[in-house]
Amino acid sequence: MSMEQTLKDVMAVVLGVPAESIGEDTSMDTVKSWDSIKHMNLVLALEEEFGVAIPDEDAANITSYPLIRVVLAEQLQGK
Amino acid sequence: MSDTGELLAQLATPGATLTRTLAAIDGLERQMPDVRRVRIGISSNVSVDLLGTFLRKHTLLAGARAEVTIGNHDDPVGDTERFAAEGIEQMVMLPFFDNLLPAFERRIELMSLADVDAKEAELRARWRLAFDKARPLRQVWVGTLHRYLVPLDTGVPDPVDAVLDRFNAMLRDEAAGFANVRVIDTRAVLQQVGAPVAFDHRFYLRNTAPYAGPYLDELARRIVGAARGFGGWYHKALVLDCDNTLWGGIVGEDLLDGIKLDPHSYPGRVYWQVQQEFAALERQGILLCLCSKNNPQDVDDVLERHPNSVLRQGHIAVRKVNWNDKVSNLRAIAQELNIGLDSLVFIDDSDFECSAVRSALPMVRVYQVPSSLPDYPRLAREIRELFLAGGVSEESRSKTAQYRQRQEAVAASAQFETHEAYLASLDLRVRMARDDAPSLARISELTQKSNQFNLTTLRQSPAEIQQRMDHPDATVYSLTVSDRFGDAGLTGVVLARWEGEVARIDAFLMSCRVIGRGVEFCFWPALLDDARRQGCRAIEADYRPTAKNAQVADFYDRLGLSLVSEDNGVRHYRASLDHFSPRPVEWIKVTE
Repeated sequence: MSMEQTLKDVMAVVLGVPAESIGEDTSMDTVKSWDSIKHMNLVLALEEEFGVAIPDEDAANITSYPLIRVVLAEQLQGK
Repeated sequence: MSDTGELLAQLATPGATLTRTLAAIDGLERQMPDVRRVRIGISSNVSVDLLGTFLRKHTLLAGARAEVTIGNHDDPVGDTERFAAEGIEQMVMLPFFDNLLPAFERRIELMSLADVDAKEAELRARWRLAFDKARPLRQVWVGTLHRYLVPLDTGVPDPVDAVLDRFNAMLRDEAAGFANVRVIDTRAVLQQVGAPVAFDHRFYLRNTAPYAGPYLDELARRIVGAARGFGGWYHKALVLDCDNTLWGGIVGEDLLDGIKLDPHSYPGRVYWQVQQEFAALERQGILLCLCSKNNPQDVDDVLERHPNSVLRQGHIAVRKVNWNDKVSNLRAIAQELNIGLDSLVFIDDSDFECSAVRSALPMVRVYQVPSSLPDYPRLAREIRELFLAGGVSEESRSKTAQYRQRQEAVAASAQFETHEAYLASLDLRVRMARDDAPSLARISELTQKSNQFNLTTLRQSPAEIQQRMDHPDATVYSLTVSDRFGDAGLTGVVLARWEGEVARIDAFLMSCRVIGRGVEFCFWPALLDDARRQGCRAIEADYRPTAKNAQVADFYDRLGLSLVSEDNGVRHYRASLDHFSPRPVEWIKVTE
């Protein structure tokens, strides 16, 4: 499965929204259920799923689908 | 979609990822809409929302469904009142030691003994009050306190540990006075999981959420176990096979001297240790039975004559030592003891016997002796935990009685009749500042970050706050809250405008960590005095709903304003200043 699809699947489960609804404009501002608590779960889930450690600064800032994709790609490259 | 069995297996897999766990929980709760429901409230001084997820997980594994409500930050008394009013029957109280005061563990050595004493007295009073309010609840699970920081090795006992022990003794002392309060030993959870994986320092510093998933998973498992799956099971008897279960080898072939039960060598010590656990269970009121395919005389010989057998005839309530099948024997045991088959736990080393019982008697809990023998003592302990988690032993009952007597002897110094009396003892102070330029950045930040206690969710940049401060017909109020234990900092903001005869409240927001003590009500009389001085004759304010601020939907009703109109969920309020005088909050001193 592609990294994008896995990312969408994780976000869908953690945020409780359909994976098909996740796209370029998905962000903390557009998804009602995406609050600071869900955000922590999302960071933990992504770290587990992709086997990476998201740096603290990034963990706080990846509040949209495109931003998460960028940070994950960086981390996966560094592996 | 996966079927229920698959999802349950996925949920039960040790080390399953959070994503898989969440997906399995969602799937199962959708597929099991009709199972027994348990409503659980969680109250803590840190963020532990993930505990709710894991309580749902372990409740599902026990065949029921949990509905979880998260309380306010650090408000056990208020949370308890609310949970009781909402008919919630189970509550988890989880005080986090290091956040009893900000960075408590780092500060203890800098604090005076009197300050530590005062904090202990305040906690005792608060917990007692919360436990008292919790009388209508079926069960309160309260976690003991544990360390967050690893003690430094200085060659002398760690002073922080001394305070921790004292506070824990006090917590248990208070809990013992209430029959529905059950203490959960969090230090055991920490020991089991290990500190390096129990905490997430990032989220503790950023979101006051100190725990990582594995800790909360294990804690939830223990709570649901202690609750016997919230009424899902109640085991009363342990039914034991004999050969290769109570001793190594086969007594009919290896004879009395040949079986392995020597405490000083392997594998005898494995069985000897396991027998210690079972004997302890018997002492704590659990019925032990034998169910073994053997000659009765051979087994009797072991119980009566083997020098190392811990279990003796007197320990055994019912024995079915014969050549009948085990399913019939288990039925006979249940009948003889006059208990249900679902009260039995059965342990056997044989694959064949275990699966025969599982398929014929699914209500019997079956354990198989592990093929890797060194794992057996741990399994025996798990079985013991299964029986004792409910906490019914004679020993613990007499302990409870002792605690109760002690508590009655304790001077009632920490006794408060009401929540108000307790709040008065806190010496709460609120400083209300107007257009306080040095706080500009913090004020703007609070408008950007507050979501829950925020009436209009009006986000303001520092420049916008600056404009309001400079404008003669606008005032920026900032509230700084403190009590005798310290300063909570700038935690409230009101943005007001004076529009001729109308005082308009553009925004009112507070940090969630200070609400629930009357702070949100205390300053309004002073603000209204300002309005009158500005020539205003009425006050107007709005509530604008967002996804996150439902908790303040009726705030202006509670304050005493009149609802004028409502469109698209936006509520417009108004009151004439001649007829509106909010009650001062007597236990808070407001300074300007």
